[in-house]
Amino acid sequence: MASVTLSDVKKSYGKAAVIHGIDVDIADGEFVVLVGPSGCGKSTLLHMLAGLETITDGTIAIGDDVVNDLEPKDRDIAMVFQNYALYPHMTVAANMGFSLEHRRVAKDTIAERVKWAAGILGLEPYLDRFPRQLSGGQRQRVAMGRAIVRDPKVFLFDEPLSNLDAKLRVVMRGEIKALHQRLKTTTVYVTHDQVEAMTMADKIVVLSGGRIEQVGAPLELYDRPANQFVAGFIGSPSMNFIPGQVGASGFEADGVTLPCPAGTPIGTKAIYGVRPEHFTLSPDGIKAEILIVEPMGSETQVTMKLGQTSVIGLFRERVAGMPGETIGITIDPAKTHLFDAVNGQRLG
Amino acid sequence: MTVAAPPSTRKARKRPFWTMERRDSLAGYLFIAPQMIGITIFVLIPLALVFWYSLHEWNVLAQTFRFQGLANYQTLLSDPGLPQVLGATTIFSIGLVIFNMSLALLLAVLLDQKLKGITLYRTLFFSPVVVSLVAWTIVWGFLLQNNGGINALLASVGIEGPNWLRHPTTAMISVIVVQVFKNVGLNMVLFLAALQGVPRELYEAARVDGTPAFRQFTRITLPMISPTVLLTSIITIVGSLQVFAQIAVLTQGGPGMSTTVLVYYLYQQAFQFHKFGYGATLSIVLFLIVAILTFVQWQMRRKLVFYED
Ligand SMILES: Nc1ncnc2c1ncn2[C@@H]1O[C@H](COP(=O)(O)OP(=O)(O)OP(=O)(O)O)[C@@H](O)[C@H]1O
Ligand SMILES: [Mg+2]
Repeated sequence: MASVTLSDVKKSYGKAAVIHGIDVDIADGEFVVLVGPSGCGKSTLLHMLAGLETITDGTIAIGDDVVNDLEPKDRDIAMVFQNYALYPHMTVAANMGFSLEHRRVAKDTIAERVKWAAGILGLEPYLDRFPRQLSGGQRQRVAMGRAIVRDPKVFLFDEPLSNLDAKLRVVMRGEIKALHQRLKTTTVYVTHDQVEAMTMADKIVVLSGGRIEQVGAPLELYDRPANQFVAGFIGSPSMNFIPGQVGASGFEADGVTLPCPAGTPIGTKAIYGVRPEHFTLSPDGIKAEILIVEPMGSETQVTMKLGQTSVIGLFRERVAGMPGETIGITIDPAKTHLFDAVNGQRLG
Repeated sequence: MTVAAPPSTRKARKRPFWTMERRDSLAGYLFIAPQMIGITIFVLIPLALVFWYSLHEWNVLAQTFRFQGLANYQTLLSDPGLPQVLGATTIFSIGLVIFNMSLALLLAVLLDQKLKGITLYRTLFFSPVVVSLVAWTIVWGFLLQNNGGINALLASVGIEGPNWLRHPTTAMISVIVVQVFKNVGLNMVLFLAALQGVPRELYEAARVDGTPAFRQFTRITLPMISPTVLLTSIITIVGSLQVFAQIAVLTQGGPGMSTTVLVYYLYQQAFQFHKFGYGATLSIVLFLIVAILTFVQWQMRRKLVFYED
């Protein structure tokens, strides 16, 4: 086990710069999730950590050793790939034991380690099967088994659940988390799914366009997003954004005045942010026109017109209104956010 | 109580001859008809004819065509030249297959790199495949002469080259090499395509696993491309058994009978000695050898070849 430190890590392919200087400190045993939209450089960063891509600038250290120029095999990491990358011509047991073969580990020890890993992952009945004879979730487990037999210092996961269906994803999410709690191996986990990030991470690194947008614990990012990008990325459905300016009695948007926290100078042009789940139904609140009602059983999602802006609200109650009717809502000013209208940074 | 069924109001319709099922089968047969006609005219009928001829004594010059049962097959068993011919054929085929496949694989691995101008090299190594076989062989015939280009080249570095086509061993090596250089490009592109079909992630996984490069090749690359290896080995062996033009141009089966392979021997018997019936018998032998080898290789695929599904 070891800590991982990235300092000012950059990557360019020829003239195209794709990673623009990343600084992250990962503590020993921490579960860090790199999250961001497609193409933001998550896989590239992970491949650089693994040693599968060269580092254009900056340093990567695992433990106390700078590993910039070390081959993947000398970094003592294990990686789980998006498409599993299982060797299709080898049995499950051979797949898991393969990496130990080159490390001059005795045959008995290999078999023992494989059995141990298979035990943890519930793979004992499948050891003699080939990957093609397994389901998606089982393959995923074999890929994890291949990583854990070696007892590496760091686990790297590149979107390991993206090929699974929604239900299995939730199950495997839990399994990976349980595995981490059991082994306590430092883990870097890449995903574009913010729900995965929120539920699994000790610490989330939000990336966009090859830059870090924010680093923090899941709830920190949820409660105090550093900028409009993080605010919109974390949370589902996404935060509503309403342009306007700070006025004397609240935030003045097109056709409506909304409650906002004090402290921002009056007249500041800003983007007002409020999460769908932070609207509350109240007959004498602000009037909004219902556009769409989507009952989901436990909650009701309502698309409504607040002033001139269409926003989404998520209510625990069942909303009886029909499109065209109006409902009243209130917003707790403490749960609203203001972002700079120009650069999107958090205000206040 | 029984009640008579009410008379059907619908007119009992006669089942038409062209039911949906019959129409479907007709369409199916029509689709495979061109192929079946082709195979019948160009493969099955000639094969039957050759077998029929092999039961005859047929001399074109003397205009004799006489049924003699299995006499040609008895001649075959006592033919003093045949063991030598089969020996030469075996040496030629084995040498060719080993040399061709390993060179093709080596080239494919070398050319499977992301380098500037790599397509130029790929084209270069493939180009002999599309060159006229006879022209290619004639040029090599000149180069391999005692005072030809190759010995001149050797002489320039102080080596006295042998008279390549006039010694049994060097003649055999020469025909093999000339043939390999001509055709290696074909296997090379097949291997190249197979290599590029191996998912990159497998190599990344292997690198993280710490698999040394040579083991990556033997434990991952080779198994992954094994279907192509099987296919090319069958094509190459079958092709090697049918070699003719190169022998005819370079050595005419000599010196002695050292490069007289089966097809060339067959040609000699039929067209030089005018024993068409015996030539046909030798064709049947060739056909059986090819058929058996292909069958054996195909059977081995289960053991040696990895398939995804
Ligand atoms: N070999 C390459 N040459 C040039 N650009 C590349 C190369 N590989 C990746 N890129 C670019 O680098 C950027 C980051 O790619 P990367 O694969 O890391 O994205 P990602 O965040 O993993 O996306 P996804 O969620 O779709 O997997 C992309 O804009 C991509 O176009
Ligand atoms: Mg990716």
